Amino acid sequence: MKRTSLTRTRYGGFAVFALFLLLLPLAVTNDYYLNVLIFIGIHSIIAMGLDLLMGYTGQISLGHAAFFGLGGYISGILSAKGGWTALAGLPLAILGVGLIAWVIGVPTLKLHGHYLAMATLGFGMIVFIFFNELVPLTGGPSGLTGIEGVSVLGFAFDSDLKYYYLVASALLLALLLSINIVRSRVGRALRAIHGSEVASSVLGVNVARFKVAIFVLSAVYAALAGWLYAHYITFLSPSSFGFLFSVKLVTMVVIGSLGSIWGGIFGAALLTSLPEFLFVFEKYETTVFGLILILVMIFMPKGLLRGIEDLVLRILGPRVKGEGSKG
Amino acid sequence: MSLDQQILQYLITGVTVGSIYALIGMGFNIIYNSTEIINFAQGEFVMLGGLFTVTGMRVLHLPLPFAALMAVMAVALIAILFDVVAIRPLKDASSITLIIITIGASIFLRGIASILWGKEPYPIPAFSGEDPIPFFGAVIQPQSLWVMGITFLIVLGLRQFFNRTIIGKAMLASAFQPKAARLVGIDTRSMTLISFGLSGFVGAAAGIVIAPISMAQYDIGIMIGLKGFCAAIIGGLGNFWGVVLGGVALGVLESLGAGLISSGYKDAIAFGILLIMLFFRPQGILGKGKGDRV
Amino acid sequence: MMDAVPLLRTENLSRHFGGVKALSELTFTVRKGLIQAVIGPNGAGKTTLFNVISGVFPQTSGKVFFQEQEITGLPTHAIARRGLTRTFQNLRLFSEMTVLENIMVGMHLQSRGGFLASAFRLPWVLREEKRIREESLGWLDFVEMTQYANIPAASLPFGKQRILELARGLALKPSLLMLDEPAAGLNIRETEELAALILRIRDNGITVLLVEHDMDLVMGISDHVTVVDQGKKLADGDPETIRNDERVLKAYLGEE
Repeated sequence: MKRTSLTRTRYGGFAVFALFLLLLPLAVTNDYYLNVLIFIGIHSIIAMGLDLLMGYTGQISLGHAAFFGLGGYISGILSAKGGWTALAGLPLAILGVGLIAWVIGVPTLKLHGHYLAMATLGFGMIVFIFFNELVPLTGGPSGLTGIEGVSVLGFAFDSDLKYYYLVASALLLALLLSINIVRSRVGRALRAIHGSEVASSVLGVNVARFKVAIFVLSAVYAALAGWLYAHYITFLSPSSFGFLFSVKLVTMVVIGSLGSIWGGIFGAALLTSLPEFLFVFEKYETTVFGLILILVMIFMPKGLLRGIEDLVLRILGPRVKGEGSKG
Repeated sequence: MSLDQQILQYLITGVTVGSIYALIGMGFNIIYNSTEIINFAQGEFVMLGGLFTVTGMRVLHLPLPFAALMAVMAVALIAILFDVVAIRPLKDASSITLIIITIGASIFLRGIASILWGKEPYPIPAFSGEDPIPFFGAVIQPQSLWVMGITFLIVLGLRQFFNRTIIGKAMLASAFQPKAARLVGIDTRSMTLISFGLSGFVGAAAGIVIAPISMAQYDIGIMIGLKGFCAAIIGGLGNFWGVVLGGVALGVLESLGAGLISSGYKDAIAFGILLIMLFFRPQGILGKGKGDRV
Repeated sequence: MMDAVPLLRTENLSRHFGGVKALSELTFTVRKGLIQAVIGPNGAGKTTLFNVISGVFPQTSGKVFFQEQEITGLPTHAIARRGLTRTFQNLRLFSEMTVLENIMVGMHLQSRGGFLASAFRLPWVLREEKRIREESLGWLDFVEMTQYANIPAASLPFGKQRILELARGLALKPSLLMLDEPAAGLNIRETEELAALILRIRDNGITVLLVEHDMDLVMGISDHVTVVDQGKKLADGDPETIRNDERVLKAYLGEE
């Protein structure tokens, strides 16, 4: 009995979400919106990884656009310049980014707060400059063309619909792994580090190692997303991986709700689709974006998902108050 | 030009740009000292300083000194407003929240600037002509002298302010021992407010003196702000003379690197130095940890 | 009772902060199976002693031996791995996690599920999770807090938060549990319950070292008391000896 209820809470949401993703294209017939959905999926994967780092472990990164870009460029360059298939490039993108994240993560994650933010930002900037300057490899500011699409065993993901399902599968895989990690010994250690580093360490948690490990994992998520991105639009330009995109990623996680895996997806969906709905404001997009950041931080510092939850509880009144304070 | 002269030229450029980094770093310092916040919007104060001056001169037809004065006042006011609206209500928030809110402000200010001034760069005339002054085979732009001179005066002024005036001392006290400061009757909230105003003022001044060299544009804030932060870290966050040293060191290294190695990687040099400092000596060259502020 | 096996030993341990000598050449021993207390006036260096022993910050000079092996300068988590853990004067609970989860973190070293195994929920990880959960519930039962298992640690009453932190340390199954002012902020009844709990912990074979200001508690349960003042050892002995030691009285009266 207990076991079934456990299983339900654990994977119920996941199953519903998987079904939702499966059926969503039935409602979205327009190719353009499908394209937006693909971007939402790609951004969700990064946001989810970043949330493991920021929301669960309490470590900020203002450089995740770099990992996203590196994942894309590694596989993209192998494909465009070396004639590799997308599939062959994937493990290299993941291992390469994982390695870079580890090398940079070991000294970086010894820093805290504003210093950590600045170090990750500096790293992101350096990578961005390399994307621009390594012209023979990356094509520089004018971009890298000629990247192959994805095909697996002769099956080409050559339409938006097919690619949608590829991205959805990757998202579901990332989601499943995240859910499992969060609800394990590892997830507890991460949240403990967020709560108190010194208390975690007196209980035997190797704080430095866990912080670096989750940094690497979140970078790998970003690399997977970068791979999906590169082989979808088959063109890469450095401007997609600058500081502003790093900030956008952090915003997705924060607006969604830190420390909630679903929050990352919610934030990614919101921020990715917002410009589509606010197209009249195109000129004001970044201004509005900055304003949203400030307002959310002032009025809903726990993010929209939690904020709305609290609001609903407040409206429902004292009846459910006891429940609410527990959750 | 011989190589020696070329290097001398790079040094002059480096010290000029470095002075600006030092001024911006000073802005970071002032706010950090009173709040322990690193204000990611610092670079936007610089951008606004230049653009307000442009408006003062072109639209209001003010002479440069008055346009500049108006600009620094306006930016100081914006900085104060930022503190009242966004920072004060969140004083006890986590550092992630504070980082995000200052980033939000930075994006917001940049967006507003792009709407008000458009995306094109605006020139500001040099303060006293553009006839280069020969200097041992290299040349110095008169504006460079203005940049160095004004930086020096501002640093000196800030030093006197913090060491000699009651308000300055009170600000240091409230930064160093906020609880004790409150106990002896210092209003730490207004100290924070003043620090934002001062930091806006210094940032805007930096933006105005550099504008004749690098032009005023809506999007210069991020990069120049980060360089200023870099200067502050090299010198030791909170250490005023350290920031000057850090700024000049950064400016010179960058200028030499750009001239002798590759101009494309100029900014990478700055961020490389930033990372090395953060990894190996986060307290800065002159910093001795927390007990040695300012 | 006085089987003099040293579990923990410090040798001329010093820690300076700038010019302040928080610990100065302190040599003392904790014997196995006892409840031992460190007392002293405020600022005597007791918490510094805990911080240096547990590796929270490094010593200036001197050595620490645990179970006859030197642990000086080891990282905190490595010291924990050898069976030494502690609580904090200012509680350091994982406040957003539930009471049960707090204890489960305490069992970190008795489990080994890593990233990959957890991400793919390998069968042995599932078995391990089940074991951790059950044993953690056992510890909650030991401190009589089972009914609080699923509420966030932050919403516990203060006294229960202290006990939870202690139980979290127990879950590590340490050889030595160091309690930093465990009675601070507790009322009389809670302090009595704490005393009984500490005695039960010792009877379960865990050596307890506590820093405490509550003299009734210290004198009531300790087998051995070490007095420190200004970073130095002032006296050492059983509670009765300490109670009658003139130097100790002087140090305390001097403080008043």
